[in-house]
Amino acid sequence: MDILAALDSLVTEFESGLALASTPESLEELRVDALGRKGKLAQIMSRLPELEPAARPAAGQKANSVKERCNALFEARKQAILAIRESAALRRFDPTLPGRAPWRGSLHPTTLITEEICAVFSGMGFDVVSGPEVEHDYYNFEALNMPAAHPARDMQDTLYITGQTLLRTHTSPVQVRSMLARRPPLAVIAPGKVYRRDSDLTHTPMFHQVEGLLVEEGTSLAHLRGTLTIFVRAVFGAQTRVRFRPSFFPFTEPSAEVDISCSICGGEGQVAGQPCRVCKTTGWVEILGCGMVDPAVFAAVGYPEDISGFAFGMGVERVAMLKYGIGDLRMFFENDARFLAQFA
Amino acid sequence: MLLSLSWLREFTPYEGSAEALGDRLTMLGLELEDIVRPYRDISAIVVGHVVECGAHPESDHLRVCCVDAGQGETLDIVCGAPNVAAGQKVAVALIGTRLPDGTVIKKAKLRGAPSSGMICSERELGLSDNHDGIMVLPGTCPVGARLVDAIDLDREVLDISVTPNRADCLSILGLARETALAFDLPLTVPEKALTEDATLPQTLVPIDIPEPDLCRLYAGRVISNVSIVPSPMSVRHRLQAHGVRPISNIVDVTNYILLECGQPLHAFDLDSLHGGRIVVRRAGEGEKFTTLDGQERTLTQDDLCICDADRAVALAGVMGGLNSEITGESRSVFLESAVFKPENIRKTSRRLGLSSEASYRFERGVDQRRSLFSLDRACAMMAAVGGGSVRRGLSCSEPSPFVPARISYRPARAHTLLGVSLSAEFSEKSLRDIGCAVDKSVAGGQRDVWQVSQPSWRPDITREADLIEEVGRLHGLDSIPPVSPQAGQDIGRAGQAPSLYAFWSRIRHWGAGLGLNEAVNYSFVGHKDLDHLGLPKEDRVSILNPLSAEQDVLRTALAPGLLQTLRNNLAQGAQGLRIFELAHTFAADATETSASTGTGVRETGKIGILLYGARHDAAWPRPEADMDYADIKGIVEHLLHFLHLSAPLCEQKNGHPWLLPCVELRLAGQVDGRTTGQTIGWMGRLKPALAEPFHARKDVWLAELGLDALRALHESAHMQFVPLPVYPPVRRDITVITDSGLYAGQVFDHLKKLDHPLLADVALTDCFEPQDAQGERRLTFRLTFRHPARTLKDAEVDKEREKVAQSLIQALGVRI
Repeated sequence: MDILAALDSLVTEFESGLALASTPESLEELRVDALGRKGKLAQIMSRLPELEPAARPAAGQKANSVKERCNALFEARKQAILAIRESAALRRFDPTLPGRAPWRGSLHPTTLITEEICAVFSGMGFDVVSGPEVEHDYYNFEALNMPAAHPARDMQDTLYITGQTLLRTHTSPVQVRSMLARRPPLAVIAPGKVYRRDSDLTHTPMFHQVEGLLVEEGTSLAHLRGTLTIFVRAVFGAQTRVRFRPSFFPFTEPSAEVDISCSICGGEGQVAGQPCRVCKTTGWVEILGCGMVDPAVFAAVGYPEDISGFAFGMGVERVAMLKYGIGDLRMFFENDARFLAQFA
Repeated sequence: MLLSLSWLREFTPYEGSAEALGDRLTMLGLELEDIVRPYRDISAIVVGHVVECGAHPESDHLRVCCVDAGQGETLDIVCGAPNVAAGQKVAVALIGTRLPDGTVIKKAKLRGAPSSGMICSERELGLSDNHDGIMVLPGTCPVGARLVDAIDLDREVLDISVTPNRADCLSILGLARETALAFDLPLTVPEKALTEDATLPQTLVPIDIPEPDLCRLYAGRVISNVSIVPSPMSVRHRLQAHGVRPISNIVDVTNYILLECGQPLHAFDLDSLHGGRIVVRRAGEGEKFTTLDGQERTLTQDDLCICDADRAVALAGVMGGLNSEITGESRSVFLESAVFKPENIRKTSRRLGLSSEASYRFERGVDQRRSLFSLDRACAMMAAVGGGSVRRGLSCSEPSPFVPARISYRPARAHTLLGVSLSAEFSEKSLRDIGCAVDKSVAGGQRDVWQVSQPSWRPDITREADLIEEVGRLHGLDSIPPVSPQAGQDIGRAGQAPSLYAFWSRIRHWGAGLGLNEAVNYSFVGHKDLDHLGLPKEDRVSILNPLSAEQDVLRTALAPGLLQTLRNNLAQGAQGLRIFELAHTFAADATETSASTGTGVRETGKIGILLYGARHDAAWPRPEADMDYADIKGIVEHLLHFLHLSAPLCEQKNGHPWLLPCVELRLAGQVDGRTTGQTIGWMGRLKPALAEPFHARKDVWLAELGLDALRALHESAHMQFVPLPVYPPVRRDITVITDSGLYAGQVFDHLKKLDHPLLADVALTDCFEPQDAQGERRLTFRLTFRHPARTLKDAEVDKEREKVAQSLIQALGVRI
């Protein structure tokens, strides 16, 4: 066969070979067999001296175009095979299989809410302070204008350790300890566990509170309103309305309870035509107690008579129940992992 | 406090709705709890007139009545009551009416006689237990009118929550005063209308008060010739609507006036008062006294008694005595109106666990200037309903007359405290409206200081702050504009260590981030829970008045609570549990009395971790396995690393009461130049024998570390950058074959002690225990060699490895 015919048949042969090959390895074998240093093309070209010198350049050109053609065929076939491989591999890949997930931890809802509350007040310059849970009667009651025979003690049924020590009924004793340790100006926030001798559907003998105190010359009820309005909107949303109702606490005067517009019904009192169970159709939900620090408390800690300040306190579980829609208070302390895991 | 709108209207002409009143009072600090409609169930009952009352043809005891109930034509109603008679006004349930017990009245035939309705007894209407006969209404009741209107039942009753400071609002009068204030209405206090019987001689009861501190006022009057019968319908129904059970005319009046005026009264049977006199004295220590609820009480010297010439007849301010109570045979009444020291009444009431409407009011303070009025009004009412006559003469002793507090009021201070500018006119009017006398003359003192005197019914108003509260309350706390607070950072406190709260918070986030669930258990458990684990009994802190035996002691360790949580979860079918908790443990410690808390209780912050059961929640894609020692230890080491602390020294403790094994955790630290090991906690496995009550069938792994120690160590540890090595490491494995009893830690320790200059790191890569070999273990360690200044050659590393191997053989007697 003459050289040119041999070159032509090399292409045909190579092309049909490629069509049969199904792996990159067999393709490579074909390529080496045809185009390698000792391959068929080289063998054909080794016969070049057989040609007339004038015919040699044409044959050389022909050889180059054969080589290019084969390479192109080879590349095309290689890509095709790789594409088939990839799609086969993708067919085996199942993106819907579960992941090898690390453990899913969670924070207790009271922790989440406490941190949220403390973050808002820290941002306003309050220091977070802590104190003992077993307290002396003096810090828990006496210094807070609740002498032994004060009817206000009825508001907080107490678990006693001895006649004079008890499980704190609120975190206010931390405020007393803070005031005794520091002089005004003072802005502290005290989160923690508190205890009452009470256990039913809506009371647990232990729960969490966050209480705050700010003492500074010239502080007024208007500042208290401002502070709590900022807090309520930060925690319950910018649309939340706030209502101050006069109330009574022995350690504040004037005292108020703060209602917020019901986060469940938006203050409408109804959800889809049904009476709202959370606010009992009033549109308001009680969220915290507050007031201007009573002069008797300032006297107990030796602060100047005409200083002024405000204090406030709230139940963490109550806020959590409203924010997360938890209906049963007791769930907080049963620690069912299915409950806990929801507060990641 | 229950407040009926119709009773309220006897004091002030409020014409609005119950809801509007409730809203307004709520915003004045008297929170509306509920609006009760006690007679809603009988609102369909109408007044009928019995035109004729004839015999039933088939029955001796049934009567056939022809009743005009305003329905256009008369109704035939068959009635079995013995007292039914022509001419009576009666309560009629028409056809279709539902009675309070749910019965619906239908057209019926009774023994053949058709009956179109029912004439009702009080019991059938839920008004009383009386079922002796039908209810006979006053002749003035209009035919066809609704019964509730005709006899003016208290249809709408507001339930108002009264805070402990507002003693004055524990009466209809007090709430009427607030209503008048709120709506700018006049307040009319009804006339006392007392008529002493001029025909009878004056009767005085001598009153002796040897304890003037405890009894500020004691007064009484005598009513004679009374007959003890049930009260008239209007009184009974009103009391019922206010939650008070009617008893008899005389007792009912004391309750009626208590509700109306807020003054507790007590009616004695005068004939059972020995010597016809009253002595107000302290009880003898251990004195026995039977209160009129039939309970015998043991008294102390702190209790105040009302006595006759010989004995106690009432526990002052709390409850009367059985020996002098009004009975059906009583003919003469001595009616007491007194004022006692609030703190003393409260003490007695609390100690005896005996709270009454009277003690509730005395504890909070009653209006002493209203006491005699209330007495007189009650006497007049008793005479009216009891048929008796009020004897001439008021017996009265008042050792401490009421003296109103004189309070300096500075409008400027009010402005500072409320943060809103109120006009002098508004402030003055507010103070006068609540009943204060206001003296603005400068003669008495400084300029801009008003002299204000306390109203007798407001024991809570004694100081300037109390007045400011009143002014603020009337202005409306809700209409004070909010102002952004000024709390600024205190430069003096900048740079202090993060708060304890912040440290706990970091650890909580570590736990959650690691994949543990945070639990919160009660701080108290039962002694038996601590006993179960064999925890020491000595330093426990018991609760004096626990709610139950399950919660009678404070936790001395977190484990009992965590195990409780485990039990709860296993009961819910959990396969595995990974929880942590941060809380205080409590121990009695006498030295704490002198320390900062002064409570005699040492509180220690702890973190507790519990691991149980399946290592992974899903079976796929990891092999199923239960958690073991390596899991709990890994978590503890992770925590210490998180706090920039070194790995703990682990030492097994033998003979632990409830853990097997129990590993004590210590941290090596430098104190004054020498190495110490500070104990920071423990970890281990709950003894399987103790796991049964928690339904745990697999291993329970627990760890507990002291947060106070960790915090101190963490704060003294600081991160220090170590330059990264420049030259590559060369690694060699070495397998150590040990006999039983050699810990991996000993190998680590030995290699560390070698202080080999090229040995940069040692890690365990395998631990294999062949089945056949008794206690033999094969520990494979990976040694990393590195030279700080050049690349090591294979040959020299091999030489160094061999040196290390030889030293292990020599020092620990192992095979390589």
